[in-house]
Amino acid sequence: MISSDVIRGYNDTIILSLLLDGESYGYEISKRIRMLSEEKYIMKETTLYSAFTRLEKNGFIDSFFMDETFGKRRTYYRITPLGRAYYREKCEEWKLTQEVVSKFIREL
Amino acid sequence: MQMDTIMSYLNNMFAALPRTEQTFKLKQDLLAGMEEKYYELKQEGKSENEAVGIVISEFGNIEELAAELGISPVSEEDLFPLLSEEEAAGYMSVKKRTGLFTGIGVALCLTGISLMILFNTLVENGWFGSFASEDAGNMLGLVAMFLLLVPAVGMFIYSGMKQEKYSYLQAGFELPYHMKLEVERRQAAFAPTYTLSLILGVCLCILSVIPVFAASAFGDSATSYAVIALLEIVAVAVFLFVYYGNIKESHTVLLKKPKAAKLQKEEERVIGAVAAVVWPLATCIFLVSGFVFGSWHINWVIFPVTGLLFGMFCAFYNIVKGKESS
Repeated sequence: MISSDVIRGYNDTIILSLLLDGESYGYEISKRIRMLSEEKYIMKETTLYSAFTRLEKNGFIDSFFMDETFGKRRTYYRITPLGRAYYREKCEEWKLTQEVVSKFIREL
Repeated sequence: MQMDTIMSYLNNMFAALPRTEQTFKLKQDLLAGMEEKYYELKQEGKSENEAVGIVISEFGNIEELAAELGISPVSEEDLFPLLSEEEAAGYMSVKKRTGLFTGIGVALCLTGISLMILFNTLVENGWFGSFASEDAGNMLGLVAMFLLLVPAVGMFIYSGMKQEKYSYLQAGFELPYHMKLEVERRQAAFAPTYTLSLILGVCLCILSVIPVFAASAFGDSATSYAVIALLEIVAVAVFLFVYYGNIKESHTVLLKKPKAAKLQKEEERVIGAVAAVVWPLATCIFLVSGFVFGSWHINWVIFPVTGLLFGMFCAFYNIVKGKESS
């Protein structure tokens, strides 16, 4: 399990990357994070929804309602062009971070 | 069953946050997600308790969400008790019923007074002939009036007691968001009815003086009958004001901002105290002047006059107080 402190700066990137594949809703996203990380990272609900709030405020994602079969309304999210640009930026940043940090990682 | 645990957990988590549209929507989204997670865990073969445990352990930290929303959890002090759906619905139905009873009660009082005037006039005009003396006729009028006053007083007491149960609303409360929408919907739907009742009542009040003017041409006893007609028309108008006014008030009270509710309290207390003195005093003057000086034919004006003065006082006080607080 990854500590949430370490990964905090990349929660938004993770969510945006999943939204690149198409619109989705809260639970589906958290499930896919769990699966893709092979259960090594489980994003807390409040973390997920804080990220949605922040991303939407910054214009990186849009939200809309979609009716489900049982008459329930679900909030769906989709990435905006601004969000794609931000995602690319964060990917570059990560490559650099990884490059730098890895220079200080060695086997003992 | 176990979904209730999750729901009450979520309610507790959100209890410290201000109830805005945004937090309400977030809560709904969170609940939907937690619900889905819970059912999937159960399908995977987890026990109910295990599933609830996992869902709650993966909830996270409400402060994180609050910080993102730019809101700080509300301090206990500013937090008003949350009104339940039953309480809000109960308050509205009680308010409607007490409005009905109070309205009928006031109408009964006015009818009682008009009955007494009627008997007086009948006696004066010699309608009772040799059957009864003048005093007996007047007594009959008094008896008729008190016969109507008794059920009226009963209705006032009943209404007062029914409303007493909800007096804690004055201390301030918070209405759940979905209830607020419901009350707002009812208020909007009720507005035309209320306006109509108000127009009707005011028109009746204005029209009620016409018989008096008309009758003055026909002498004293005609005037007495006209006064009876006036009182009855006013009784109908007052019933409309009280009944529909109470329904409207139930909406207004529920939709009041908690802070405003607190402020209102003092004003209502002062007006209530004044009313508690003024109305019994008027009744005393009415009864004493009637019994001691026998001025039944004119002393009823004490009630409309008191009503007018009291209304003026209320309006004046509210304006002065309202200016102070703004």
